[in-house]
Amino acid sequence: MSSFKIGIISFAHMHAWSYADAVVNHSGATLIGIADPDPKRGAEMAGQHKTEYYPSTEALLAQGLDGVIVCSENINHRRDVELAAAAGVKAILCEKPLATTVEDARAMVDACAKRGVKLATAFPCRYSAPYQRLRQQVQGGAIGDVIAIRGTNHGSLPGGWFTDKALSGGGAVIDHTVHVADLNRWLLGKEATEVYAEIGSGIYHQEWDDTGFLTIEYQDGVFATLDTSWSRPKTYPTWGDVTMQVVGTGGVIDLDMFAQNVVHYDDKAGRASWVNWGSGTDAGLIADFIRLVGGQDAPNLATGEDGLQALAVAVAAYRSADEGQPVSIAS
Amino acid sequence: MGRAHASQWPQVSGAKMVGVLDCSMEKSKEVADYHGAAAYEFDEFDAMVRETKPDIIDICTPTPAHRPYVERAAAAGIAVFCEKPLARTLADCDAVVAAVERTGIPFMAGHVLRFFPEYASAKRLIDSGAIGKPAAVRMARMAGMPDPNKSIAESWYKDPGQSGGVLLDMIIHDFDWLRYTFGPVSRVFAKGVYTNPKYAGTLDYSLVTLRFESGVVAHVTGSWAHPGGFHTSFEIVGDAGMIEHDNARSAALTVALRGTGMNTGVVVPESPQIPEENPYYMELQAFVDALKEGRTPPITVYDAYEATRIGIAALTSIETGKVIKFQ
Repeated sequence: MSSFKIGIISFAHMHAWSYADAVVNHSGATLIGIADPDPKRGAEMAGQHKTEYYPSTEALLAQGLDGVIVCSENINHRRDVELAAAAGVKAILCEKPLATTVEDARAMVDACAKRGVKLATAFPCRYSAPYQRLRQQVQGGAIGDVIAIRGTNHGSLPGGWFTDKALSGGGAVIDHTVHVADLNRWLLGKEATEVYAEIGSGIYHQEWDDTGFLTIEYQDGVFATLDTSWSRPKTYPTWGDVTMQVVGTGGVIDLDMFAQNVVHYDDKAGRASWVNWGSGTDAGLIADFIRLVGGQDAPNLATGEDGLQALAVAVAAYRSADEGQPVSIAS
Repeated sequence: MGRAHASQWPQVSGAKMVGVLDCSMEKSKEVADYHGAAAYEFDEFDAMVRETKPDIIDICTPTPAHRPYVERAAAAGIAVFCEKPLARTLADCDAVVAAVERTGIPFMAGHVLRFFPEYASAKRLIDSGAIGKPAAVRMARMAGMPDPNKSIAESWYKDPGQSGGVLLDMIIHDFDWLRYTFGPVSRVFAKGVYTNPKYAGTLDYSLVTLRFESGVVAHVTGSWAHPGGFHTSFEIVGDAGMIEHDNARSAALTVALRGTGMNTGVVVPESPQIPEENPYYMELQAFVDALKEGRTPPITVYDAYEATRIGIAALTSIETGKVIKFQ
């Protein structure tokens, strides 16, 4: 079996670490190198994953890669994806959110399509075993027709560039809308048509939003709410959550994606924490990406278009909050 | 709700149940006999007032009957304890407020959630600054459809025209508590299925988002779509911390009874309290204490009006798809 040559552009997003790990552990792929504008971080990450550090994206892309993973700041996704597409890689996996504007996301999708490069969006929650079980149950008709979904994707304050709007494109809403927006859409097989949002900054009192309560309407009148807030305090036992209460005509399924924990009462840290023992998601995501690189089908992997549709919900949320009204999404 | 109140009145000091009125004389008699009170039927309100001379009328009728009984009690100058919601429509709410104002009768609404210890405890913590300035709130109240074995014609709960569904009958509790804790609401947006004929009488589910004048954002889940059990929870985040409660995690007692088969049986979680801290007792005692001491009872007709206004705004939002803004 041939080994596909994979490169990672930027470790700005911490997910790059576990993606790198999954590539290294994949028998059909080799991590050729890491490009990062920060030489210290880049060299350190390359060392940890026993690969090469390249000071520029161009230098990394000159290595004749088969696949590229983009984990730069949100605002740089478009630039990095377009560079990778121009370098003629077979497939690109881009960290979520795909971009900060629908226009940028559309340009990325088009640029890849024009060159025959496959674009995927990193939505690891699709690979969660509890979510896949939920999807199997719902699609098997266990709860009849879905009427509504109540979702949350809470987090603690991420800090760094996530709270620099020039790099992130917003706050909690752009950071946390897309995961559950994608999970809802993939579960329902329906497009979001309208979004209403109450957005606030009452927790940290900064110019970026830390509170987002979205209401999303889907085709056929299915409705959902989604709490995207960075509302977990510093003393909370874990980083946050992904939950979905799926209400159907025949019953209700509650998903708490990260409930599989042991509780660690830690005297040294002065707090209790939840240590998750659930099955990981990144190995499944990266395995599908490697399939895509190899020209195989990877039907569970979110495409660039999927990433764009999820982003459109976040963008509509900000617009709704500005206008004080529900706004429609043109999909 | 009448039976829940009837079971608490004997514990209330300074009060005695003297009469019971129900549209079913059989029910009326059963409860009255048990309490040594007089039983009356549907149309015998005037006779009950004349014969038993009550100081308080406790109204636990279906929602649409609140207004006429408040008006009759008020006209007779009798103090009223009225179940939530105040009425099914804002016009009826206005009429109730007018009757109370015109006659000056003491009035208290049964927004009993304020007396539930977990909610009272949360409010004390919030008021003491334990979580800093509140910012983001989530509340949920989830149960099965009431009267599962009755048709819509047989159950006023199931008829949204009478009860207002899960929104006006159940999560009105949360609306009152939220307003009591975080102040006036500025706008309401909601989605739900209460008017959808497809689900009439089988399930009801609403998700409501509220914005408060203080900037607080709140989300309330109301469900009559949950098979099995009654589930309540809240989480309140401020700029210095968070509190959360989930009744599934605070059952102090769980009774599991073995059935006949391998894995059959029934599990009933409970959260027992001493009788003096039963919320239904506490609300009635608070009313009687206020009357005896000449104070304004703790939950006024205006509080009940505002809670109902939020509920009706949510119903209107569902019907119109619009945000309902308060002046």
